[in-house]
Amino acid sequence: MKIGSLKWLFGRNSEFWPTNMKTGMWAWVGHRITGLVLVAYVFLHLSFLSTASVGSGDFNSLMEVTSQPLFVAMDFLLVIVVIYHAMNGARVVMFDLGLGIRHQKLVFWICMAIAAVLIVGGIWAIWDLIFVPSGGA
Amino acid sequence: MAEERIATTKVAGTWAWFVQRLSAVLLVLLLGIHLYVAHFMDLDSHTGDEALITFEDVSIRLDQLVYIVVDYGMLAMVLLHGLNGFRTVLFDFDMFAKRKKTVDVGLWALGIATLLWGIVILFPFITGG
Repeated sequence: MKIGSLKWLFGRNSEFWPTNMKTGMWAWVGHRITGLVLVAYVFLHLSFLSTASVGSGDFNSLMEVTSQPLFVAMDFLLVIVVIYHAMNGARVVMFDLGLGIRHQKLVFWICMAIAAVLIVGGIWAIWDLIFVPSGGA
Repeated sequence: MAEERIATTKVAGTWAWFVQRLSAVLLVLLLGIHLYVAHFMDLDSHTGDEALITFEDVSIRLDQLVYIVVDYGMLAMVLLHGLNGFRTVLFDFDMFAKRKKTVDVGLWALGIATLLWGIVILFPFITGG
């Protein structure tokens, strides 16, 4: 491990980017990371809803905070994470049913193409809801 | 000779695998309903057309039993799928794979406690605060 060069970390066949990491392996890594993020999100979602137990005003003021741009950006991130996890999950279920294993790389990229379309569609769908100025709420 | 790693699939079991696939398919459906109802359905309230979700919006929605069932059902599925997935991640580490029973009891306890918490959380919306 040399300090002078970052090749040990980012170079070909490095710790971070081993050459034996192929498409399916990266898909798996992505599935794990997005899965863990979504589990954390569920707990965050529940804790936000729990403010209603304090009072409806507390819930409403929290909802006003979550319609701020920073949270909207996180909603976009959530759309990407959910759709990746769902589309890669569809690929996993397909393979478990014995469908498309022989063309597993092609199936991965088709799933990712569908995911990309859904992500654009998802962001487009929430764009209006979020950026239309609210009428004095 | 190095000790052989414990195979995750053998520790996790066939039921866990099956439940994960079944809940995955159900969640895609439930998430679709959940998002549509929360953000796009006309709620017929004075704030219905806006992005901002208010306590009243959620209350109106949860006046109908079907959405209570959808939300609670979705929470149960999410916890089953999420914690079952987390269990698989844990079993990839030998220190957890060796303690299968402890992990299982812990995750079931966490799941049931969270489900009960989630059920209580919606009470103010259901009763209308």
